Amino acid sequence: MTHLGALALYLAFALAVYAIAISLWGVVRRQSLWIASGTQAAYAVFGCVTVAVAALLHALVTRDFNVEYVASYSSSTLPFPYTVAALWGRQAGSLLFWAFILTFFSTVVHIQNRTKNRDLMPYVTATLMAITLFFLGLLCFITPPFERLAFTPKEGSDLNPLLQNYWMTIHPPSLYLGYVSASVPFAFAIAALATGKLGDTWIRTTRRWALTSWFFLSVGNILGGRWAYEVLGWGGYWAWDPVENAAIMPWFTASAYLHSVMIQEKKNMLKVWNMALVILTFALTIFGTFLTRSGVISSVHSFTQSGLGPYFMTFLLLVLCVSLGLLLYRLPELKSENELDSLLSREAAFLLNNWVFVGLAFATFWGTVFPVLSEWVRGIKITVGPPFFNKVNAPLGILLLLLTGVGPIIAWRRASAKSLRRNFTAPLLGGVTAGVLFFMLGYRNYYALVVFSLAGFVLMTIISEFYRGTRARQAMLHEGSAQALGRLVGKNPRRYGGYVVHVGAVMIFVGVAGSSFFKIEKQTSLNPGESLEAGRYTLKYTGIKNSEDDHIASQAAEVEVFVEGQQIATLHPEKRLYKRQNQPTTEVAIRPTLRDDLYVVLGGYDAPSGLATFQVFVNPLLSWLWIGGLTLVLGTCITMAPNPAERQALASARAQERMTEAEEVVAD
Amino acid sequence: MQTSRPFVFVMFLFLCSVAAATVPTTQEVEEALTCQCGCGLTVHSCNHLQCGFAIPAKQEIAKQFGEGKGRDEIVASFLTRYGEKVLSAPTTTGFNLAAWIMPFLAVIVGGVLIGLASLRWSRRNRQHESAGAQAPAVADQYRDRLKKELDAFEN
Repeated sequence: MTHLGALALYLAFALAVYAIAISLWGVVRRQSLWIASGTQAAYAVFGCVTVAVAALLHALVTRDFNVEYVASYSSSTLPFPYTVAALWGRQAGSLLFWAFILTFFSTVVHIQNRTKNRDLMPYVTATLMAITLFFLGLLCFITPPFERLAFTPKEGSDLNPLLQNYWMTIHPPSLYLGYVSASVPFAFAIAALATGKLGDTWIRTTRRWALTSWFFLSVGNILGGRWAYEVLGWGGYWAWDPVENAAIMPWFTASAYLHSVMIQEKKNMLKVWNMALVILTFALTIFGTFLTRSGVISSVHSFTQSGLGPYFMTFLLLVLCVSLGLLLYRLPELKSENELDSLLSREAAFLLNNWVFVGLAFATFWGTVFPVLSEWVRGIKITVGPPFFNKVNAPLGILLLLLTGVGPIIAWRRASAKSLRRNFTAPLLGGVTAGVLFFMLGYRNYYALVVFSLAGFVLMTIISEFYRGTRARQAMLHEGSAQALGRLVGKNPRRYGGYVVHVGAVMIFVGVAGSSFFKIEKQTSLNPGESLEAGRYTLKYTGIKNSEDDHIASQAAEVEVFVEGQQIATLHPEKRLYKRQNQPTTEVAIRPTLRDDLYVVLGGYDAPSGLATFQVFVNPLLSWLWIGGLTLVLGTCITMAPNPAERQALASARAQERMTEAEEVVAD
Repeated sequence: MQTSRPFVFVMFLFLCSVAAATVPTTQEVEEALTCQCGCGLTVHSCNHLQCGFAIPAKQEIAKQFGEGKGRDEIVASFLTRYGEKVLSAPTTTGFNLAAWIMPFLAVIVGGVLIGLASLRWSRRNRQHESAGAQAPAVADQYRDRLKKELDAFEN
């Protein structure tokens, strides 16, 4: 089966080369049959990669330890879900998984566009297949997943215990989906530049793909944070690790793009900027995976570090040269008649919002690569850690939160004094009220109060938008409130789904501020029967329970939790030893509430005396971060709902492009 | 002025109550140092069981604190021993200053450029409006008609 898998990869490589060549040659020779052949080849590449994935999964599931990948990253006692997750758990498998998702998306794109965008599709095919070719090249010639050992070990080395966690089974696939789906808008952008078809069609065609990429990057980042919170046991969820930064940078630029594209659709502005953002987002996904795999910058994600860095860097440089070269070539055609009626307008707010997102991406990029730069310039290793990123990114984040409230309610074109008074009074009151409320509740820190006040401001803007829209429908169409609200959202899911996303973002800000500025930490050793105080909680350690199976040996402490003398919970923080790798890990016990998370880590245990060392964290408001993540997901799903108005806009964009082409022919 | 005095007094109390603690703590020092065990976290955050760096470092920091040493002195002692890589953020001297300045410089300069461009675009638009529209060409008439009909359909 693995021989079949290896063969399938070589065949896929050859077919990808063919698809690129025949698609481009078909354009040159104006042969639609050859272009169609390129499309069929793209489908075949997907088929071959699927066979390869199936072969590796088969080897994992059947515990074929003669395959080096299986022997290194699984074992006979590894639970089934993690056996499957081992497919993307290490280098070669993760590259194969990337290629699988990419070819799957390529297939979907071809099916979606089988009767439209015929001018663009050959270039889209060539671009997607070129990206695929890079990954297939690595898999065929540099890091093949089907290498066999000279002998067959009796047992595998097992998957890294840190990866044997529920969140880790879904965090990498989510991030990969986010990274890979950014290839589609990029491919269409290249096609638009290559063909000169620079109208709105390519943007409207790929809007959902851009949103999909953003969605999965959001989910992937949130899941990564959840994994870090539950597994790493340091009481936090984001450490500005280089690989975490690699995942957040394309998210920043994709967020900027999703906002600025609205300006292009409404005002026909920022065409060059939007092209640059799409290119930059894709480039950052490649840069991100370069960081993860190259070993250039040390990271806790060291499990995938290898010598692939030069290949990724070469590919990245090629991508930038080709795409920026095309952009420069088409610059005269892309320049639009930029018009801005007033600096006090939604357009100006969106411009500033974009700049802040790009600023965040740059600041994160700069901090991530600065250690390499410093070593290159001065020959001295330095570290750029959380204190740097928190100090630099926090002010920008707060500015972004402010703009999240201003953008939706400031008028398009020009905001008058009257409209400003009408639209901003309630939100400003909401902001002040929120600030006072949190102050009265005891959250007394400058930065946190600024965040809470802005959160109140933003929430009031969103509530007022929903309220005004619902009331308008009720007045005009005599609908009930629930019906009016439902139809309001249904008629414009993009706008109101976006507002729900903003609500999620506000919750995330509140969760981050609460858990950052008001965290309580305690570390102490207790004998059975002894207690410690942490914030409003009293924790009483009552004893240790040992358990064991073929895979894991565990020591679980029993900790009774009291608030004001009443027992409210019993927690069981654990220490585990994964036998195959002889690696200890910690299993945190978490009791989440809307007010705070009680987070207990069993740091150490001395069996003879029964003395146990505990680290206890109380993380105020942290649950709002995860609730905000879910809300963000919900909002994104709403924005992606079918929208007849959007289909009409896409059709009109195509009609306008054809009209422009006809005028040019007549003029000639 | 008299009516504003109570307001100023209330604001003063408010600011005092909200003021963050200025007395340095061991946590602050631990956050200023990077654990050298490879976890990528600060000394304070590293929770590797039996960490060979973070645990002794925390003990050393507590000891020096107990001797009355300040944050900067304790951090300097680690810097001397382990080099700049032990700091969790770059210093603000020499080449390292570029780490801090560049992001803000980029955002400020970019923001100024965007602001100037926006001013230019808004002035250009006002000039177009004041000059008045000329009679549209035939294609423009159809374009405007298409836009109006689409807007009406969408609304």
